[in-house]
Amino acid sequence: MSEKPKADLIVEKLREIMETSATEELDWSNYGPQSTIESLGLDSLTILDLLYDVEQELGVHLEAIDIVSVGNIGEMASLLIDRGA
Amino acid sequence: MPDRSSSYPASPRRVVVTGMGIACALGIEETVVWQNLMAGKSGIGHLRAFDTASYKIHIGAEVPEGLIKGKLKELRRRPIDRALDLAVVVAWDALTQARLIARKPPWSEQDVAVLYGTGVGSAQSHFNAFSTFFEKGPRSLRPTTVPRCMYNAISAGVSMQFKLTGSNYVVVSACNSAANAMGTAFRMIRDGYAEKVLCGGSDGFFDPFFFGVWNNIGVLSPIEDPAKACRPFAEDRRGTVLGEGAGALVMETLQGATARGADIRGEILGYGESSDASHITRPSVEGQAKAIRMALDDAGLQPGEIALINAHGTATHSNDATESKSVRTALGSAADRIPVMANKSYFGHALGASGILETITTLLALERGMAPPNLNLENPDPACNLNLIGNKPTSIDRGPAMKNSFGFGGANGVLIVGPTT
Repeated sequence: MSEKPKADLIVEKLREIMETSATEELDWSNYGPQSTIESLGLDSLTILDLLYDVEQELGVHLEAIDIVSVGNIGEMASLLIDRGA
Repeated sequence: MPDRSSSYPASPRRVVVTGMGIACALGIEETVVWQNLMAGKSGIGHLRAFDTASYKIHIGAEVPEGLIKGKLKELRRRPIDRALDLAVVVAWDALTQARLIARKPPWSEQDVAVLYGTGVGSAQSHFNAFSTFFEKGPRSLRPTTVPRCMYNAISAGVSMQFKLTGSNYVVVSACNSAANAMGTAFRMIRDGYAEKVLCGGSDGFFDPFFFGVWNNIGVLSPIEDPAKACRPFAEDRRGTVLGEGAGALVMETLQGATARGADIRGEILGYGESSDASHITRPSVEGQAKAIRMALDDAGLQPGEIALINAHGTATHSNDATESKSVRTALGSAADRIPVMANKSYFGHALGASGILETITTLLALERGMAPPNLNLENPDPACNLNLIGNKPTSIDRGPAMKNSFGFGGANGVLIVGPTT
């Protein structure tokens, strides 16, 4: 499998995870690799839950600092692939 | 700080209700709840929340499917925990009705306190956390387990959702919780510590663990027909039925409500509370009668002035017989003529939220001068010597009503509410 489709797959998986674990309805209207964490409206607690759900679903452990340091969902997908997702 | 120096206690501030929100098995709109009550339609049914095949009991009173989810979606919230979700929905209705907030955000911060009673708090979150712990071990616990499971997640969630900056806390005293919360709110306003309080209770406990616990304590009715299972004050009563639910009232001063032109739905006239200090689950006549007398004294009323009693009426053998004696002990011969209603045959026993559900039905009855029928009371128990309403709606005199709430731990709370004057 080439890297691009896998990244797309992870971007979609992240949406799935956030849709089920977020405590508020997030804005999906322009969701894609370019979406920033802020644009989705995730607060700090939701990010903690996101880390948890990513680990449960994808088997990759991320720290909060990892999420803060990525610019958008696409970069987060790349990071997850680098870590073995 | 409000001035409470010269006028208290000679002329304490009058406390009125300007908004109500309710969610129970009869519905989530007060008009629908009232229609179902007057039609004698029970909301108890076979549980849908999870598979009860391996349990002794298979029935309960659930809020009709989809209603809470729909309201949360309007608020752009996702379900978090059943007790919190219910609490937020009824808060939204009460605050909107009181015209403290517009129906849609944005909302600005305002000085309103939030006091909720709950029997079991975030039961669903606890169940999920324990399940994960035992299945996958401690390292698998969700990082947000603490904010989800803490009891004050309920009041904190409501406070944050609607930007209410008064104090927020949760009162826990089993089935007396909401009564304690309302009584405390009443005193806070009357005595000048707060101008407006959103108060009530919430309990959402239909999960496999919590329901199992209640199955095994021996107070749930084994009658399999849901509509006939809960029979308050009947000779053939067999126990109570659990029912999830929440309710909220906006309380404020009469003066404040009048000044801002709010609709007044009723008045809080008095409150009494006590402890049995005798047995963890067996109620006591002395403890309950003490709370009833305190509430009457607090309201400055004689027993004969009470127009309606909404009983705790759990339909357990012990509760109904004891409550009947307590009412007789405290009210004497006035109890011969005061009509008594018991609502748990409609929406089950909401534990910590039962007091608020039944205070709202009491206020609805006072507004209309009518009380709904008591279900399943074909054979009143001679040991329950009260003027129990029969199987038809009854007109009631205009006057104050008494709402009893009694909880495990010997916790008793009695609220006196009056119609708008």
